[in-house]
Amino acid sequence: MKNLFALCALAIVLVGCSGGDAAKSESPTDKPGGSAASESKQITVAMLPKKKGVPYFTSCSEGAMEAAKELGNVELIYDGPTSGDAADAVKLIDQWTAQGVDVIAVSPNDPAVLGPAMKRACDAGIKVLTWDADADAANREFLVNQATPEEIGNSLVDAMAKDLGGDSATGEVAIVTASLTAANQNEWIKFMKVRLEKYPGLKLIATKPSNEDQKLAFSVTQDLMKVYPNLKGVFAISSVAFPGAAEAVKQAGKAGKVLVTGLSTPNDMKTYVKEDVVKSVILWNTKDLGYLTVFAARELVDGKLKAGSTTVAAGRLGEKKVVGDNVMLGGTITFNKENIDQFDF
Amino acid sequence: MKTFRWSRELTLIVLLVCLMGAASVLEPKFVTVRAQTLLATHLWELALVAIPMLLIVITAGIDLSVGSMVALSAVSFGLMFERNVPPVVAVALTVVIGTLLGGLNGWFVTKMKVHPLLVTLATLAAYRGMAEGISTARAISGYPDWLLSALQGPTPVVIFVLAALGTHLVMTRTYFGRWVLAIGTEENVSRFSRIPVDRVKLWLYGFSGLICGIAAILLVARNNTAKADMASGLELDAITAVVLGGASIHGGKGRVTGLVLGLILIHETREFVSWHWKQNELNLVVIGSLLILTVLLENIAEIRKNRKPQPVNPAPAKS
Repeated sequence: MKNLFALCALAIVLVGCSGGDAAKSESPTDKPGGSAASESKQITVAMLPKKKGVPYFTSCSEGAMEAAKELGNVELIYDGPTSGDAADAVKLIDQWTAQGVDVIAVSPNDPAVLGPAMKRACDAGIKVLTWDADADAANREFLVNQATPEEIGNSLVDAMAKDLGGDSATGEVAIVTASLTAANQNEWIKFMKVRLEKYPGLKLIATKPSNEDQKLAFSVTQDLMKVYPNLKGVFAISSVAFPGAAEAVKQAGKAGKVLVTGLSTPNDMKTYVKEDVVKSVILWNTKDLGYLTVFAARELVDGKLKAGSTTVAAGRLGEKKVVGDNVMLGGTITFNKENIDQFDF
Repeated sequence: MKTFRWSRELTLIVLLVCLMGAASVLEPKFVTVRAQTLLATHLWELALVAIPMLLIVITAGIDLSVGSMVALSAVSFGLMFERNVPPVVAVALTVVIGTLLGGLNGWFVTKMKVHPLLVTLATLAAYRGMAEGISTARAISGYPDWLLSALQGPTPVVIFVLAALGTHLVMTRTYFGRWVLAIGTEENVSRFSRIPVDRVKLWLYGFSGLICGIAAILLVARNNTAKADMASGLELDAITAVVLGGASIHGGKGRVTGLVLGLILIHETREFVSWHWKQNELNLVVIGSLLILTVLLENIAEIRKNRKPQPVNPAPAKS
């Protein structure tokens, strides 16, 4: 019984201290209206990666920090689940909502799970952006889009063709994708197929899923090489499938004979590039993606980025296009033996 | 007046008051009703699951499969919903499924005489695997709004308060509660004293499954998604809360009041750390330190108490 009393006493203490502060903290949460005076106002931008501590997102965060420093009036919070667990991401969004930050920029690892929390943030008057990957458009104002599926599809096919001998490249090629239902990858494949028509010598013979499993990507690539002895190239178009496919080619001793290309960060693929298993690694500029996200957040609070905007000013990147509710970063970079050492992420 | 006795509950309250005091200075917004309500939404599945965990730990057992039971129940709920089973029926069936999963653990523990650690370690993997298998690892979403809103907000709080209060009363007022404590203290003696040891344990593991079924539904409603990788690591959080709340992992000791305080302390610490330092990964370190700090504080109090002048026992005469 004594313990029950103790519990009640505690409850009173907790309620007591929270009640006292509630009144005080309601007032400073009001948001700027977008007037010129608000431009110098310090804002807080919370940036959520799919998973914290992976090189890809760390390099995005470096760009974001650079932008925050350059602007001088943006406090940047970069935090995310180290486990990649969507439920942890929800907790963080709710926490930022409770703190009353100005902008939450989300790279959703599971849009369905994060949706309700993003909506709660919107309802609390916080500006919500997505970057790197999209969520339900109703729960965010803009997507900071790294590259269009068309650009990615074209870059992949062009890089493969170039590495196999330019416009007259010939040979059988195959795609190892994430899963057959992965939305991003399917979009890319659609545009890859269109682009492949430009190179009549290249024949797409198979598209195999690897279900975001490096071991499966490894064995799928082994099978492809067995079934199609004339295979010249493999597009491994998920960051997990890429090293798996490259490892399969390397272990089969076919480095240089079967080329692997795909999307990844340079550090993950550096060894394969040096061993000639991989000639080109395609990616958008991750630092610029983080950089642009912070600028977009600032412009959004200042009211300069709003529905109907066609451009957004993004510091050293100059003017960036806005298409509909997408802020476009645009452009891909290709890492190869010559330049890959200059990148460290 | 009764002599003052230090208890785990007091330690936890002292720590909590310190924490909230520090929080109100460092982060005034943290100690507002608005922030606390928003932050509390993520606590209830863990809080619920920790209740049967407490009882099982008191019997010197353990249930490592809670996270997987939640996931398998959640996925079952999602699949039933997808096949147009009326939501109310699906909710009821999910709770039944959870209970059966827990019951199976209990059956292995009591009838097959396998140590609960092994049984639930096996089902931790097996149930999770089944959840991934039957759902083919995809997310099942699209529940009707009325269902989602009915299962959020005050609903989980009410369920938790009822479960905690009920368990507290059972543990302090009934034979069943005394049996649970007796089994954990000395299982063989309990058997000789005609306590239905196996039946009590079967009930407890079944109860754990039942609560996991309920937690699964709440979790699905909150996330609007059923997915096989939900609630992973839940068992560790639940065990941490139970131990922090003063239960002995060797059995025979533990109270619902301590558990509730342990839960609040873990929750507030975690939220505050991630709020103030904005480093999500710090959490794990802090929870570990918290566990050690609590035990230390108590040991110090214990040592102080023992240092008070006590009747000196004459040393045994040398022969």
